[in-house]
Amino acid sequence: MENITNTHLFGILLTVGLFYLITLAKHRSRQNWLNPLLLSVIIIICILILADIPYEHYMEGGSVIHSFLGPVTVVLALPLYRQRKLLALHKYSIMGGIIAGVASAILSVIGLSRIFGLNEMLERSLVPHSVTTPIGISVSNMLKATQGITIISIIITGIIGASIAPLLLKFLRIKHPVAKGLSIGASSHAVGTTKAIEMGETEAAMSSLAIGVAALTTVLVVIIMQVMGWY
Amino acid sequence: MKIFKQLFIILSINLAGDLISRYLHLPLPGPITGMLLLLVLLLTGVLKERQIRDTADFMLQNMGFFFIPAGVSVMISYQALKGFYLESFLVVLISTILVMSATALTTQLFINLNEKKNGKHN
Repeated sequence: MENITNTHLFGILLTVGLFYLITLAKHRSRQNWLNPLLLSVIIIICILILADIPYEHYMEGGSVIHSFLGPVTVVLALPLYRQRKLLALHKYSIMGGIIAGVASAILSVIGLSRIFGLNEMLERSLVPHSVTTPIGISVSNMLKATQGITIISIIITGIIGASIAPLLLKFLRIKHPVAKGLSIGASSHAVGTTKAIEMGETEAAMSSLAIGVAALTTVLVVIIMQVMGWY
Repeated sequence: MKIFKQLFIILSINLAGDLISRYLHLPLPGPITGMLLLLVLLLTGVLKERQIRDTADFMLQNMGFFFIPAGVSVMISYQALKGFYLESFLVVLISTILVMSATALTTQLFINLNEKKNGKHN
């Protein structure tokens, strides 16, 4: 067993295989709530614990996949580029909405964490919970927080956002498709955007635009907070 | 061959971003500098969308795959969560509601103000 798991191939094969199977199951069953990332993570952790395989063995191959985070972050420029006309058209509304969203994300995590008595490491790890995963990981590193906790909080945020969006936006009487899409993308990134796609074309475009703009704004705000010594 | 060529371009931009961040001592993480660099190259027309499209879309559509190892790393850092599972979930839940509400209400306010202003001109 040791000989099989202590290789690069083990981690890569396990990750590719699971992601493929879960994505296939998602398409076959048309269950949109199925999250291949979250399910793969849970199943891999279960396999490692149950089969008593050391985490380091999985990471031999895992780190190869992990090293693609750089290029994955770089290509996030493409959806932003594709929505450039929409961005120019609604620049003031987008700027206002995103700044309100990013400020409330950071302040609410810090405030709520202190109310609920979370330790500092946990608080820092939750700060980028509304940011798209590759940039969320960068923010987590900037804050010297824990990547693993940040990622789990990002996925859970996406699922929450996609579930509550129709009800919450109705309750707040939000009627404009630009406001709907922007708020979904800014709060619950790509996972929430799946819900925005069901709502309509403008909602979908605004949501995918909001992902990049909100993420970059968060990075900027965190840099300012750190340079000023506020956090 | 197309995929390799596109991957080569994307990785080169990634490397350029890392080098710029490191040697200019930017507080911006390398990959994000790379992302901004790619955006500038696309906007200025130096790089055409079709020169990276296929590889970039593959990565974007299957983004979750690349985060699996980072997600699995929660198994060595779960100690920080111990005893705070429910509290952490509540922080994320309430914060998500607040972010969505703040963004939606502010954007709607800006749009309404804009429409009112344009209305007066007509």
